[in-house]
Amino acid sequence: MTQNILARNNVKVFGKGTQPMLFAHGFGCDQNMWRFVTPAFEESYRIVLFDYVGSGKSDLRAYSAERYGSLEGYAEDVLDICSALELSNIIFVGHSVSSVIGMLASIREPDRFERLIMIGPSPCYINDPAGYVGGFERADITGLLDVMEKNYIGWANFLAPVVMKNPQRPELTRELEESFCSTDPKIARRFAEGTFFSDNRSDLQKVTIPSLIMQCSEDAIAPLDVGDYLKRHLPGSTLRVMEATGHCPHMSHPDETIRIIREYLSAGGGD
Amino acid sequence: MDDLLNRAPCGFLSFADDSKVVDINATLLDSLGYELEEVRGRHLETFLPVASRIFYQTHFFPLLKLHGRVEEVYLSLRAKDGSEVPVLANAARRDHGAPVIYDCILMQMRQRNQYEDQILAARKLAEEATRAKDEFLAVVSHELRSPLTAILGWAHLMKSGKLDEATTKRAVEIIERNADSQNQLIEDLLDFSRIISGKIRLDVGRVEPDSLVEAALDVVRLAADAKGIRLQAVLDPKAGPVSGDPERLQQVMWNLLSNAIKFTPKGGRVQVRLARVNSSVEITVSDTGQGISADFLPYVFERFRQADNTTTRLHTGLGLGMAITKHIVELHGGTIRAVSPGEGQGASFIVRLPVMVVHTPEQLSNATTEPPPVAGVAPAAELTRLDGVRVLVVDDEKDARDLLGTILTQCGAVAKTAASVSAALEIIRGGKLDVLISDIEMPNEDGYSLIRKVRSLEDGPNRSIPAIALTAHARASDRLRSLTAGYQLHIPKPVGPAELVMSIANLTNRDHNGSSEI
Repeated sequence: MTQNILARNNVKVFGKGTQPMLFAHGFGCDQNMWRFVTPAFEESYRIVLFDYVGSGKSDLRAYSAERYGSLEGYAEDVLDICSALELSNIIFVGHSVSSVIGMLASIREPDRFERLIMIGPSPCYINDPAGYVGGFERADITGLLDVMEKNYIGWANFLAPVVMKNPQRPELTRELEESFCSTDPKIARRFAEGTFFSDNRSDLQKVTIPSLIMQCSEDAIAPLDVGDYLKRHLPGSTLRVMEATGHCPHMSHPDETIRIIREYLSAGGGD
Repeated sequence: MDDLLNRAPCGFLSFADDSKVVDINATLLDSLGYELEEVRGRHLETFLPVASRIFYQTHFFPLLKLHGRVEEVYLSLRAKDGSEVPVLANAARRDHGAPVIYDCILMQMRQRNQYEDQILAARKLAEEATRAKDEFLAVVSHELRSPLTAILGWAHLMKSGKLDEATTKRAVEIIERNADSQNQLIEDLLDFSRIISGKIRLDVGRVEPDSLVEAALDVVRLAADAKGIRLQAVLDPKAGPVSGDPERLQQVMWNLLSNAIKFTPKGGRVQVRLARVNSSVEITVSDTGQGISADFLPYVFERFRQADNTTTRLHTGLGLGMAITKHIVELHGGTIRAVSPGEGQGASFIVRLPVMVVHTPEQLSNATTEPPPVAGVAPAAELTRLDGVRVLVVDDEKDARDLLGTILTQCGAVAKTAASVSAALEIIRGGKLDVLISDIEMPNEDGYSLIRKVRSLEDGPNRSIPAIALTAHARASDRLRSLTAGYQLHIPKPVGPAELVMSIANLTNRDHNGSSEI
């Protein structure tokens, strides 16, 4: 069972420390997104990287539209890995939608987690006319799905599950590495829908683990309003607004990202 | 920037790790409607509408950052005036030096984009059509099989000889009812096939809608009574006439009424209103039945569609009735629409037909003021007598010969049968006959050959014998061929006994009491 999970989610474990630091990638990418940041923590922590089923080099055969149609299904991946590796005192680092996935996992098994570090989080992306600013209207997300449909083309559309199982064809592996991290358009679409149509505002108050909200300036996907909302509704949370712009500071501004995480961890608690 | 690059026939853009624009060529600035100073140093997202912005942040940038290259990515850019510019992007990290710079070529693909949109839409339609067709095929095979179960089951029981007389009678009724229903299903299928291949022809004449509605009501009254459903008619006798095929319009009325009755529970009400609305005649059939949900309403008239396709659905049928109805109404230059406040709240179907305004002399003299009687199978007791009529039935299938022979004998006819053209010719040369009924498709020699030979016999009693082609070939071209070959009538199978016997009676000049006028 353990071996199955580790293979299923392409789990990588390395680092010289004992306390686990579990990095969870966001929608559209895979564990490789952390490679500018993990070197800074390898000495002091035990780094755990993984791909959600349907992304990266995970086992696509394990994908089920029903389970992964909601973020709870993704949270289960996280908990499966924690259980397989017998992790506790986890520092969970989640990008974008993985922030919420981490939250959900911590609500189900709070004893495993020590801290939640959330990069570019949002509990709900769609604006609520009752006064919540998520940043998007439903039509925007439909537009995103159209753009995705126009981009997930070529061999990836038809061959992905078959090709990925073929180690005798290294040239395909090379192509794989340079295509989108989730090669199956249907899986990607469901992940997009599950991410952008979810509303987890009511889950915030159930979180018992202290958390760091890393808010980028000028982030189109997690605007400042959202960081603010989180600060007010997520118990035990600390908000740090970064100088980095965009949505992927751990890739575009790794130094600032590392610095902020280090400061938070050594400060030893919330504010 | 190099002049060649600046004016190259494609857009060029370079940006840093923070996605801020480092440089941009004149071609791209022109297509976006910006000046250089407005753009340099600004975040790329300035030119990206929302959807592309999200895609850039979640897919494009990570891929570029991690692999150093991005190929053939579709994005939509936003020009200064707000219009969207679809582009295909290739980007690569510059190999030399720091800080990191990415170079990006953007090619406009307006036409390709439209083309792709069309392909994607067509594919979706095709996938949906295939799915609907698959579902339909599943429904058809189920619906065609269901009556067979009853027919075979009861036939077996009757064969066992263990049934008493009352049960046997019931068995026969059940078999007949199920065979009828299967016949109707096949008729619907064929009808539909004729309609979609454009082979349907309308026999257009003058039709009075109030008689049309009343005739249809007569047909469904029995079914309505059986369910305790009240039938109401509010008919304006001056709302008309319309120009149309009375049989087809009858079919429309019958479809709407029987549907209304089908979907209305016991004790409910079905109402028909006929009124003149401007230059149209409007016929509304409303019921107090289960109604139509808002989700399904747009699809009510689509072929193969039923509101409930599951195995536990209450109502059987092929889902073609409404599609056929709509086609016929539209062939008449009319419209039909469905209205329903929602599930459980009844429904109304509103048919509009153009009023017939110009009365040509031909139309007036050919006008029928009553629609023809609705086809049905008369009970056996009412079949016209054919006492003493000498009939020869030619068919290679034994069951068909036996069936026809039995029917004719019961009406008092003297029936002979033959299984082939050669056997038939022997009987024809043998003695005077009154009517020849022949199948067309037979092994070795067919019915066309038979009638040609009969018509070229040397003078004999049977050379001009009245002849009926009775065949499953039912196209207009088949009919023409039969008549040309020498048959007087061409009747498609299966034929109801009443129709067959009446045809024979007419051909042999029997009046309806069965006595000969000769």
